[in-house]
Amino acid sequence: MASLKRRSGLGRVGFWALLIFILLIFMSPFLWMLLNSLKTPIQIITLPPSFWFKPTLSNYSNVFEQQEFGKFFINSLAIGVGSTFFGLLLGLPAAYAIARYNQGRLATLILLARMIPGISLLIPWFIMFRALHLTDTYLALILTHMLVGVPFIVWVMIPFFEAIPKELDEAGRVDGGSTLQVFLHVILPISGPGIVTASIMAFIYSWNNFMFSVVLAANNTKTLPVAIYNFISYAQIDWGGLMAAAVVITLPVLIIAILTQRFIVAGLTAGAVKG
Amino acid sequence: MGAGHPRNRLRGMGFVDRHAKWLFPLPAMVFIFVMMIFPLIYTLYNSFTGWSLSSGAPRTWNHFANYARLVHDDRFLLSIVRMFYFTVAAVAVELIIGTAVAVFLNRSFRGKNIIQALLLLPMMATPVAVAMVWMLMFEPTAGIVNYLLSIVGLPQPGWLGEARWALPTLILLDVWEWSPMITLMALAGLTNLSSETLEAAAVDGATPWQTFWRITLPLLRPTLTVAVLLRVIDALKWFDTIYATTGGGPGYATETLNIYTYQQAFSYFNFGYVSSILVVFFAIVLGISLLLSVIRGRVEA
Amino acid sequence: MKPRFAMLAGSAVTLVGLLAGCGGGSVGSSQNNAGNPASSTKGVTIRVVLANHPWTDGIKKLLPDFESKTGIHVNLESYGETQLTQKLTTEFTSGNSDIDVFAQRPLQEARLFVQNGWYQDLNGYVKDQQKTPTDWQYNDFFPSALQTENVNGTLTGIPIVVEHEVLYYRKDLFAKANLQPPKTIDELVTDAQKLTDKSHGIYGFVARGDRQASVTQFSSFLYSYGGDWFDQQTKKATLNTPEAIQAFETYGKLLKDYGPPGTLNMSWPQAAAVFAQGKAAMWTDADSVFQNVTDPSKSQVAQNVGIAKFPAGPKGSIPYSVTSWGLSIPKTAPHKDAAWQFIVWATSPDTVKKLQTGSSPVPGARASLWNDEDMKSFPSDWVAAAKASADGRPYDRPLVVQVGQARDIIGTVIDTGIQGGDVTAAASSANQQFQQLLDTEKK
Repeated sequence: MASLKRRSGLGRVGFWALLIFILLIFMSPFLWMLLNSLKTPIQIITLPPSFWFKPTLSNYSNVFEQQEFGKFFINSLAIGVGSTFFGLLLGLPAAYAIARYNQGRLATLILLARMIPGISLLIPWFIMFRALHLTDTYLALILTHMLVGVPFIVWVMIPFFEAIPKELDEAGRVDGGSTLQVFLHVILPISGPGIVTASIMAFIYSWNNFMFSVVLAANNTKTLPVAIYNFISYAQIDWGGLMAAAVVITLPVLIIAILTQRFIVAGLTAGAVKG
Repeated sequence: MGAGHPRNRLRGMGFVDRHAKWLFPLPAMVFIFVMMIFPLIYTLYNSFTGWSLSSGAPRTWNHFANYARLVHDDRFLLSIVRMFYFTVAAVAVELIIGTAVAVFLNRSFRGKNIIQALLLLPMMATPVAVAMVWMLMFEPTAGIVNYLLSIVGLPQPGWLGEARWALPTLILLDVWEWSPMITLMALAGLTNLSSETLEAAAVDGATPWQTFWRITLPLLRPTLTVAVLLRVIDALKWFDTIYATTGGGPGYATETLNIYTYQQAFSYFNFGYVSSILVVFFAIVLGISLLLSVIRGRVEA
Repeated sequence: MKPRFAMLAGSAVTLVGLLAGCGGGSVGSSQNNAGNPASSTKGVTIRVVLANHPWTDGIKKLLPDFESKTGIHVNLESYGETQLTQKLTTEFTSGNSDIDVFAQRPLQEARLFVQNGWYQDLNGYVKDQQKTPTDWQYNDFFPSALQTENVNGTLTGIPIVVEHEVLYYRKDLFAKANLQPPKTIDELVTDAQKLTDKSHGIYGFVARGDRQASVTQFSSFLYSYGGDWFDQQTKKATLNTPEAIQAFETYGKLLKDYGPPGTLNMSWPQAAAVFAQGKAAMWTDADSVFQNVTDPSKSQVAQNVGIAKFPAGPKGSIPYSVTSWGLSIPKTAPHKDAAWQFIVWATSPDTVKKLQTGSSPVPGARASLWNDEDMKSFPSDWVAAAKASADGRPYDRPLVVQVGQARDIIGTVIDTGIQGGDVTAAASSANQQFQQLLDTEKK
């Protein structure tokens, strides 16, 4: 017994050492980003790097005052929330029907959208949106981000709906409810965790999207991942501003991820547990 | 087959009820159809035309000339090789590291939730933003990585600035970003593994290694198969990080198919030719996804 | 049951409509203003798409002047140069863009855009005295800059920024080693060798090695050795001439033997960072990026940076002297007259003077403003080097339509040199590919 205890004691030290090492590796870019966002341009390129210095907030004031990141932030937020909301509106009933009526082939069609190379969509989309007078509107960007979001929502929700016993639907119908009523009043209320999961994932995908936004966003709708390039210009590069912008862009996502990690992990494994 | 039963129940109900099977998915289907089918047809049509902004000639029908040209385009062929090299290497390493870390973390300890939350961050952070940090860290002369290597006296590679290191470096960045996803998925899968099972195996004299191969891995197989399916689709199409760090360089050392496509479209403006590349690209992703789905079906059967 | 679903669908449509409305600021403004130009431009909103560039930062600050003077409202967007090209091409290709003014790189894009008929020819505007005040002084622009903007008879844009390749060097390192800044490329090579001290992390030379980006900064080496990209009369590629091969080999040797690691992924920001850290003794690049190494808040060696004319090769010192940016109006612009008013204002002697004397000065293309008084915001050796380079070659990349492809072909040879490969073989294979490219453009 004694030897076992000692071994587990040593094991504990080793365990925590290894754990901290792993964490350090996976967290290092974030730490470096944060650290450098508080440095002056000259401190950033100085070696050996200083870990103890007088932090400056001037990079952040650049980000918000000179570069209007507040505006880009709102754009990203509006497009993220919009594409998630409409994505749920389309995705939830579709996932429900696929789960309940074994519409496997439809699921495949929806997942096709995940496989198409994004570049092939850009020029046709631009033509479409111009014809509809939608360029540089939130709606256009929301629609494009939905093409990524809807398949994701469906993918997460199918196994979730499948896990809900069919007896619940039937009980609802016996009470005289229509399919739509059952869906809205019986199924959706107990699907909260799944919907939260799907929404978070769809939102983050939209928030991080770069390629669609570069071409389809303009003055009114420029999003954060596009705006980060404002710190690299033809004749100047501002590493401090870049790092501060990177912090501003990633921080909301990181906070959301930490607060909702239970749901995200559930979403990641949704297709795996029963697929 | 089973459809007969609910249909009986629904008889006499409203139109929506009778056709819920179709009506519920209809908006999503129409949406995807409109957003995807027009671009697909447009691309397919262009792939049979000689449309290049630089030729000055009007768009002409050239049948299969673009596809014939693909066969002789070394950059195209090499970019496919690189795409597969990147995908296979990255996903394989992610699978190994991701599973190893999951097995390592599969015990109860204080702060496990926080660790899990932190592990989410790499895959959730905006790739373009993180790419900027990588550029700074892996800068060969000024970066922290080579500085640390120089302190411990290790050789300092040129990372993204050296042809033979660039693609391995990008694989490293991808491993950083996505191994945690596999860890988290595997951890969730491992919760089904009761500690009694493991203890029983230990009592039977199984080494941890044997326990892993005989008990843990078979249990994880469905989870890991899905993880691989998702990772492969995304790795084949990976764009943001490569675009933001090397843009395909040094030389063409990191030019994967997606990057080459981008070059042909927005640096060379060969819209006809690039369409044929896109058609092939889509076919590859589609084919591999189907293949993996079939394998996944087998694994679960 | 039916109505409920319809209601749901209905509210979705309403929401869609609402969202469309709230983002659509610039869409509704594309009204027709074909009438009398002078009165109808008032109250018009123009869409101006620029590059991320100090010039753009400067003009942004001056915009309120223009808006209050003319009553024209300016919607200004700016993008990184590659994103800008991508955006412009997508919009123009669709045949349906509402851009009114855009920043263009005449050497990179003008031939392609002309070929596709995307420019409004500005010749008509320049000559029209109703639209262009005489005190704007068209003839004051450098003739070479106007020549660059003139492609096959189309005046594609009005030049805003000029650029020369110069040599940046470290005064302190040269003084310590008892050396004078190199006057010739041969001296540059020997100095680079002498100043390289890898054990202390000092490299004799740094420059761009990235496949696409290096081509322009290599060009001055090529010209000074007596080479060129191709013969403009016969349209014969000349990438494998002895002069060209010498240039490729020298540039490659400089970066391979005396350059820092990782040059193959370096465009100017990375090269500038190496120099600003004090890790390189010499650096050749455009004069326009000087602030990255002379501004004490960005550079550790700001006090010790010297700037000199590009060193001479066997054919003398022939740096490029180019118009890097211009302002253009697309053929599809909805408000061409207002767009032209903007360009006239942005390139007027008064505005150019303000931009040249601001806190981050941008060298403009007006000859009359290159006097000492109007260039006082620039370091004096910068002005001397730039002026001495003014009669350099007016292009820093081949003048072809397919610039992107051409740069890739040439960049491959440069990279072969940096990696110590067989430059002669690479040059002759590149020459063949480049000839094919030229042949497709011969008409």
